[in-house]
Amino acid sequence: MEGLLSILRRLKQPPECEVRLLLLGLDNAGKTTLLKQLAAEDISHITPTQGFNIKSVQSSGFKLNVWDIGGQRKIRPYWRNYFENTDVLIYVIDSSDRKRFEETSLELAELLEEEKLAAVPLLVFANKQDLMTASPASELAESLNLHTIRDRMWQVQACSALTAEGVQDGMTWVCRNIKFRKR
Amino acid sequence: MFSLMANCCSWLKRWREPARKVTLVMVGLDNAGKTAAVRGIQGENPQDLAPTVGFSKVDLKQGKFEVTIFDLGGGKRIRDIWKNYYSESHGVVFVVDSSDVQRIQETRETMAQVLQHPRIAGKPVLVLANKQDLEGALAEADIIENLSLEKLVNENKCLCQIEPCSAILGCGKKVDKSIKKGLSWLLSNIAKDYEAIAERVQKDTAEQRALEEQDKKERAERVRRIREERWENGNALKSVRFVSCCLHHVCVF
Repeated sequence: MEGLLSILRRLKQPPECEVRLLLLGLDNAGKTTLLKQLAAEDISHITPTQGFNIKSVQSSGFKLNVWDIGGQRKIRPYWRNYFENTDVLIYVIDSSDRKRFEETSLELAELLEEEKLAAVPLLVFANKQDLMTASPASELAESLNLHTIRDRMWQVQACSALTAEGVQDGMTWVCRNIKFRKR
Repeated sequence: MFSLMANCCSWLKRWREPARKVTLVMVGLDNAGKTAAVRGIQGENPQDLAPTVGFSKVDLKQGKFEVTIFDLGGGKRIRDIWKNYYSESHGVVFVVDSSDVQRIQETRETMAQVLQHPRIAGKPVLVLANKQDLEGALAEADIIENLSLEKLVNENKCLCQIEPCSAILGCGKKVDKSIKKGLSWLLSNIAKDYEAIAERVQKDTAEQRALEEQDKKERAERVRRIREERWENGNALKSVRFVSCCLHHVCVF
């Protein structure tokens, strides 16, 4: 009987260390590649995401549930269906595509104004660069308008989803800075 | 007796003052211990931190002050964002890794840039000479000399206090006493000149916000135009295809 009760209780209250991460960004930023890289899966055949992908990964004692949502413009309005209970927002940008920096900064600015994402910490993965040639984080921060953010913590992490360089460092930051939101 | 009453009066006076909002900016080279110091003050574990390449903020109440501390990344490639936070700040906390003798020149140059900035010069500065627990850490006097601190603060008219400390050793009530002491020094000196500093903060912040707003509008406009062009190009391409398709049919006939 007690066993049943405790099972029920466990069902009702998710374990403390479960974390919901939301992976967003423009189309072709590399969100799905990053997700597969996190789950140590094959990354050779990746097509544009039409809906979403989800993977659970264990990292430093946390169970990270990572949601990767398709980034094409016509499906961006659906992003809002996934905002609820997000612990960390991970925004992926293609650092080599400077032409779209302004577009991506605009999408990000809209996300940061969402009530359901208020005060949620932000990790920006500056994807598609090897760390040696990465443009300075300060430059990136200013072109994405991160320096005007005052209501949440943010971090820039240069990475290459293709070689996995920098990916783990980003997740380490996530794990060390999660503050559980009161459920 | 009189002094007791006078004390009471001044205490009462202080008690009736409204809470004061103070913003501090925390800077210094990477690995100096900025985040550790902030965590300690906040009552959280100052160990096992990831390097900050960005921004985090803590709010705390200290006596009559509602303090906000901006903790900024210190690495070479992120330092350029510091200037964006100066106008809002009433004072500066500059953290130095006292054991990193090799980078003391870099520390000096970086500190000079901060204090000379027009939006910082004249504001009070607390220098935390951190990592005193490590072997070979420079003592207070050596740091003052190596940073030419006296000259620097005099030139920029910044009130300055230096506190040797070890941010890693404790947190909450057990946080290094010198950190607490330094923080209260900084706050009481901001309080002494509060009206003037607050006015300056307000004016500078308003100026900066206006620029940011302008920039945001221009960006939105540019993106709108690019999207329109893309749409038009898409349509143009479609009509070209349509025309060539028609021509093809005509030729076949």
